[in-house]
Amino acid sequence: MSTLLEARGVTVRFGGLTALKDVTLAVAAGEVLSVIGPNGAGKTTLFNVLTGRVKPTAGNVHLRGQAIERLPAFRIAQLGVIRTFQKTEVFGALPLVDGVAAGALARGDPDPLERAREALDVVGLLGKAQLSAHQLPYGDQRLLELAQALAARPAVLLLDEPASGMNHQESAHIVRLIGELRTQGLAIILVEHNMHVVMTISDRVIVINYGEKIAEGRPEEVRADPKVIEAYLGVDPNANAVLR
Amino acid sequence: MLDRNGQRLLTAAFGLVLLAIPFVVHDSYYLHLFVVAAIFVIVAVGLDLIVGYVGQLSLAHAAFFGLGAYISALLSLRLQWSMWIGLPAAALFTGLVAFLLGLVILRTRGHRFIIITVAFAELMKLVATNWVDVTRGFMGLPGLKIPNLYVPGIGAVDISSKERFYYVVLAAAVIAFLLCRTMVRSSIGRAFVLVRENEGLAESLGISAFRYCMIAFVVGAALAGGAGSLYAHYVGFVSPDLFNFSYVTIMLIMVILGGKGTLIGPALGAVIFTFLPELLREASHWRMIIFALILIVTTLFMPRGIIFPLLEHVVPKRWRARHVDAS
Repeated sequence: MSTLLEARGVTVRFGGLTALKDVTLAVAAGEVLSVIGPNGAGKTTLFNVLTGRVKPTAGNVHLRGQAIERLPAFRIAQLGVIRTFQKTEVFGALPLVDGVAAGALARGDPDPLERAREALDVVGLLGKAQLSAHQLPYGDQRLLELAQALAARPAVLLLDEPASGMNHQESAHIVRLIGELRTQGLAIILVEHNMHVVMTISDRVIVINYGEKIAEGRPEEVRADPKVIEAYLGVDPNANAVLR
Repeated sequence: MLDRNGQRLLTAAFGLVLLAIPFVVHDSYYLHLFVVAAIFVIVAVGLDLIVGYVGQLSLAHAAFFGLGAYISALLSLRLQWSMWIGLPAAALFTGLVAFLLGLVILRTRGHRFIIITVAFAELMKLVATNWVDVTRGFMGLPGLKIPNLYVPGIGAVDISSKERFYYVVLAAAVIAFLLCRTMVRSSIGRAFVLVRENEGLAESLGISAFRYCMIAFVVGAALAGGAGSLYAHYVGFVSPDLFNFSYVTIMLIMVILGGKGTLIGPALGAVIFTFLPELLREASHWRMIIFALILIVTTLFMPRGIIFPLLEHVVPKRWRARHVDAS
């Protein structure tokens, strides 16, 4: 598989705080890479660097071999790196179809509303296209975020806790959708606390703790890594059950 | 709510009323108010692009209006340029100044943006007041005239009377309104609304908030500059008073009470709030206090304004969905 997005030696410092330290990762088309770690480990900061919202103090980010770490966020999005957010971000007062059309509009699509309807259909919200986002329950808002991202026709999709706050059925729906997107050739980077989701869907997993990458590998390898168990639960030989 | 044919009929009737005003209104003072109102329609729809569509509270709009008036006056008095050339020149120059200002201030948001626009407006007033060699300071620039209009097949037509100049400013207001309406119904307008609703999300999906704020800022300023040019030639005199803060207050009242982000609301707001101060002349000391109170109450409790919600019953639902639900 050819690498689409690659971060090399990314370091981010906010004053005296090092949020990320020498983090390297790569994701290929048709691959799901999960980034896990305890709260405050630097996962969202990593997303912010990959999407141009935060400029790295050191290191670089390449998309298809092109350096993008100094580009503005909207330009990186136009190049195909699209994200969702940990805290749901929608165009609250607009009809769903108008908000979802944003990504297609940015790409200069001749019919952004049609692209929006297609994306809403993918996540199962087409029937609610004329409602405003504020009228949707939380689970549907998470799906709406995904539709917003899909309408932008991403090459790399960064999903920040897409299953957070969802019940088991909704989580299963998200997992199924992510699987379908992978088969369509999208490169997906997933930040998620729901270990069942992570272990079910991921091809590879990266673990970050205190801003440093402490492990990388296939889900079953990471799950058995003592450093990962320690990062999540401290030193307890029986604690790895939590990661299953 | 009226159907589409009803809408067309209403629009045609409204158009006829506008055209008939000089034949019906014989009082020179009220006709003067209609001329001024039409000029302020241009200002209000331009300000609506900035305040209503991209959601930036600019307090520099009166400065753009005054700048356009001064540029047109100087071109007319110093270079003997006709208003027909001075008007587009004033609009273009004002747009250029807005672009240069926007390069700096559109990278800021919130209170910083507002304060810088206030500073710019004060700077313009100081220049108009103190660059005496050019602007004559407080004495202002008198002697501006309305030129003849050359109509093919007819020749020169004197349009200096209120009755005739009314049609000139009415045409300018209609053109400005249609220009803004075309823009907000295009992909540019969609991007405006997306930036206003959630700037961070719009950027993360590939929309440059800076670019679209700049478009709204420059077009809005250019319209204010053009309106300033019309105003200067109409009243025949420009002075630093044009930069008074009260002007921007009344412009914001037109937009916010009219119904920001709707165009038609601010356009009607411009007419109503040109006439209302005159009706409140008896209470001139209280006038601005009354306006300020109305503005505060409306902003707090009626975010969609006063005028547009009343119009909702006569505009099509699809139109409402794009403009009102988004505001």
